[in-house]
Amino acid sequence: MRISGLLSEKTISRLTRTDKQGVIEELLDLAMNSGQVHDREEALRAILAREALMSTGLEKGIAVPHAKTRAVSEITMALGVSEGGVDFHSADGKPSYIFFFLLAPENAAGPNVQVLAQIARLTHDRSFCEDLRKAESPAGMLAVINDAE
Amino acid sequence: MSQGPVRKILLFVDGSEECITAAQYAVVLARTLGAELAALYVVNVSVLNELFKARIFIKMEQMDYEHDLEQDGRRYLNYISELGRAKGVSIETHIEKGVVNEVVVEKARILGADLLAMGELEPIKSRSDAFHDESELILRKAHCSVLVVKDADYIERLYQAME
Repeated sequence: MRISGLLSEKTISRLTRTDKQGVIEELLDLAMNSGQVHDREEALRAILAREALMSTGLEKGIAVPHAKTRAVSEITMALGVSEGGVDFHSADGKPSYIFFFLLAPENAAGPNVQVLAQIARLTHDRSFCEDLRKAESPAGMLAVINDAE
Repeated sequence: MSQGPVRKILLFVDGSEECITAAQYAVVLARTLGAELAALYVVNVSVLNELFKARIFIKMEQMDYEHDLEQDGRRYLNYISELGRAKGVSIETHIEKGVVNEVVVEKARILGADLLAMGELEPIKSRSDAFHDESELILRKAHCSVLVVKDADYIERLYQAME
């Protein structure tokens, strides 16, 4: 499953917000650019409900905010990179820099799992994460993912 | 039971369109050859464990997805049973959990399948796919002959023409 096929230059950006709620909303707005999110409020509610259970801030500067929601009928992704890092209440207590944001319809368990597994595999590679942070534009970030895949 | 070259076919069901084509062909073969037909769906719990270990999933989410995948599997198997029933072929269905390729290969051995049928392999879209494609691993590890079913239009005609 290629995640580069689920992203476009419209759904990738450097992040400007520096707080957790603000970053989530900024990522959601990026995801809205795909034209696949029917209901912004419902999508936001689903993401925040998942974050309330436990932060999706992982280790090594990666966060994967995700949720199943009726707000989309196809798997919808966005990617944000923060220059200075965000306190996302991550597992290692360190700031998060790279955010893979994923909304999945409720009836797509199989594909959703495959996408998340691909994110886990890619972000396991330190040089991939460094290249992503260094990329200067959405096109550059997309190229980094394409190359890694 | 058939005394012919194929006595028991195991169909690997992964929920793809390709596996539906494989199911149609397996039904045609089973009826034509007088072979028994079984279908197997495997809940990929290894990928769910991988996501839990990576901290992407919490335990509750892992269990929720496992339940969803199992429900999906039951739905696929019910649909395939109907494909068989419509042509007078009884299909024994199995749902298991584990590492997909390992479970399929082992189940084929336990059931005494002499032919494993599956859908056309998806094109390799990423380097990761090359390492994680379960169908390809099954193809390599199976102890019996493996039939990779292609040409959906031809198979559809063949299946529909069978009275």
